Amino acid sequence: METPLVLHAEQLTKRYGRRTALTDCDLRIPRGHVVGLVGPNGAGKSTLLQLACGLIAPTAGTLSVLGSRPAANAAHLARVGFVAQDTPVYASFSVADHLRMGAWLNPSWDPALAKRRIAEVGLDPAQKAGRLSGGQRAQLALAIAAAKRPELLIFDEPAAALDPLARMGFMRSLMEFVVELGASAVLSSHLLSDVEQVCNYLVVLCDSRIQVAGPVRDLLASHHRIAGDPARMAAGVEVIWAERGHALVRDGAAVRNGAAARDAEPVTLEELVLAYLSRAAGAGAAPRVSAAVAR
Amino acid sequence: MIRMSLRQFRIQALVGAFLLVVAAIYLVRLGADIRAVRDTSQLPIQYGQTMLFLAAGFGLVPALIGAFWGAPLIARELETGTHRLVWNQSVPRRRWLAVKLMVLGLASMAVAGTLSALLTWAAVPVDQVAGDRFSAILFGARGVAPIGYAVFGFTFGAVTGLLVRRTQPAMAMVFLAVIAVQFAVPNLLRPHYLPAERVTVPMSADTINQARALGSITGGPVVGGVEIADSWVTDTSKLLTPDGRQLSDAAFNECFNNAPETGASGRFGDTAVCLGKLDLHVDLAYQPNGRFWPFQWIELALYLAFSALLAAAGLWRVAGVRAP
Repeated sequence: METPLVLHAEQLTKRYGRRTALTDCDLRIPRGHVVGLVGPNGAGKSTLLQLACGLIAPTAGTLSVLGSRPAANAAHLARVGFVAQDTPVYASFSVADHLRMGAWLNPSWDPALAKRRIAEVGLDPAQKAGRLSGGQRAQLALAIAAAKRPELLIFDEPAAALDPLARMGFMRSLMEFVVELGASAVLSSHLLSDVEQVCNYLVVLCDSRIQVAGPVRDLLASHHRIAGDPARMAAGVEVIWAERGHALVRDGAAVRNGAAARDAEPVTLEELVLAYLSRAAGAGAAPRVSAAVAR
Repeated sequence: MIRMSLRQFRIQALVGAFLLVVAAIYLVRLGADIRAVRDTSQLPIQYGQTMLFLAAGFGLVPALIGAFWGAPLIARELETGTHRLVWNQSVPRRRWLAVKLMVLGLASMAVAGTLSALLTWAAVPVDQVAGDRFSAILFGARGVAPIGYAVFGFTFGAVTGLLVRRTQPAMAMVFLAVIAVQFAVPNLLRPHYLPAERVTVPMSADTINQARALGSITGGPVVGGVEIADSWVTDTSKLLTPDGRQLSDAAFNECFNNAPETGASGRFGDTAVCLGKLDLHVDLAYQPNGRFWPFQWIELALYLAFSALLAAAGLWRVAGVRAP
C-alpha cells in the first residue's frame, strides 16, 4: 500500500472576503522530507500552513495531511505538531505549567523528552512564560510541539522575530527534533537562508500560487543558467527568467535524455528561487522581491 | 482538559470565591439578625428596603459572571493568539470548548445557587409577613431561577467573546446586555408563563386611596399599584367608565386639579372622592402567589434552554464552517 502523502493538495483555494490568499494549489509531498516553504511576505505561506493544521478551512479544493482532513480528530491532531507564527504561549503560565498542559492534552506526550529539551536549552521551569525572551519562547513552543511525538512538524515563520544567534539555536533544535522523532517537517520563511541549510524539499510560493515544488536535489539538477538569447533556446527548455544576456531554464525531458545543452552552468538554490519569484512578480517588481528573499 | 480549564480559571475562581465568602458571611448574619426580631409584623418595615437593595445587587451577579468569567474565556485566547497553541494539542476544538463551558458553567451555577439559597433562607421571615416574593424584583433573588440567570450570563459571555474576539469590548457588551435581559424578562416574558387571572376592581374612593400612584407624567387616567391579596399584579388597565371606555383626560384632570373640597382625608384626598363618584373600575391581570414555584422552575428551564442553544451555537462556530 502506498503510504499517505505528508501534504496532498488539489486545487486548494482560500479566500478572505475578496482577497485571495491561495489559488488552485496542487501539491504532493511524500514523507521523510524537511520541506522549506519560501516566498515573500503575503504570498500565502501562513495560509497554507494554517490550512494544513486545520486552524482555517479551505474555500475550495481539498487538502489532506498524513492521509486525512487536517485536525480531523484527536488522533490526527496528535500526529501533527504546529508552531505558530510569533510562537504564542500563555503569559501567566510557567514553563513547567506548559509542560503539564502538554501532558494533560496529549495522550502521546513524552515527559522525558520535554524535560530534557527544556534543560538543554537552558529554560528555568519556574519562569513565567510571559517573561521569556523571543528565542526562549520559540524554544518552549518547539518543545511543546515536539514532545507529543508527532509524525509531522509544521513551523510557520518560526525564526522571523529572532536575532541571528537565537535563530541559529532554534534551527539547530528543530533539526535535532526532526532527527530524533524521525518526523517530516514543513517550515516557512520569507528568508531563503533560513531554510536552505536544513531543507531537502522546496516549495516556492508567490502571489498566492505555487511556483515550483520538488526535492532540492532534483530542482538543482533540472535547472541551468545559459548564456545567450532566450529566443534561440533549444526545444524542450522552459525559460523561467532571463536578464542581461543570461537565462535560467528548466530542462525538459528531451534535454535530460540527450546531451546537456552547451554552456549550461549549474544554478544555486538562491538563483533558482529568485528566478521563479521574479517571473511571478513581473519585471517591475522584481528588484523588491529579490531583496526581500535574498536577505 | 478539565485540569487545563481549572488551571486557566484559577485567578478568576479565587476572586469569585473570595467575593462569594464575603457575601455568604453577610447573608448568614443578616438571616440571624432577621430571626432575632421579636415583633415579626415589623419585619417588612425594617428589612423591606434591604431586600430590594439585595435583589438589585443580586441582579448584577449574572452580569458580573458573564463579563469576568464568560467574555474572556475565548476572547482572550483569540486576542493573545494562544488558541493557535492550544488548538494544536490533541484535543479537538469542540471538546476543548465543551469542557471549558461545562467546568465554568457548573462553577457559575454553584455560585448563584449558594447565594440564592442563603438569601432565600435569610429572607424567609420577612417574605412570610410581606408576602411579596412573587413581585418582579424579589422573584429574581429567590429560589432556583438565579441559577438559570448565572448560566445564561456565563454562556452568553463566552459566546459573545468567541464572536467579538476582543476581551474588553466583549466584557462591556455582555455586562450591559445581561442587565438589559434581566429587565426585559420580568416585564415582557414572565407575566405570560401561565395564563393570567383577570378581575375587575371597582374604583371607590377607598380603593383609590389604597393605590400607590394616580396620574402619570404624561397625563392620562392612570392608577398605579392597585394590589390584590396574595398575588402579583402583572397588568392594570387605565381607569374605565361603567360603559367600559377609558375615562376622558378632561374628566380625570378636572377631578385631579379642581375637585370640590370635602375635607376628605386619605392619600389622594378630594381627588379620590371626586373620582369615586364617577363609578369607575379597572381591569387587572394577576398571577396568584401559589404559582411562585411553578414560575421559578419555568424561568429556570427557559434560561437553561436558552443557554444550551447559545452553547450549541458556540460549539458550531468554534469548529469553523467547513467548505463543501
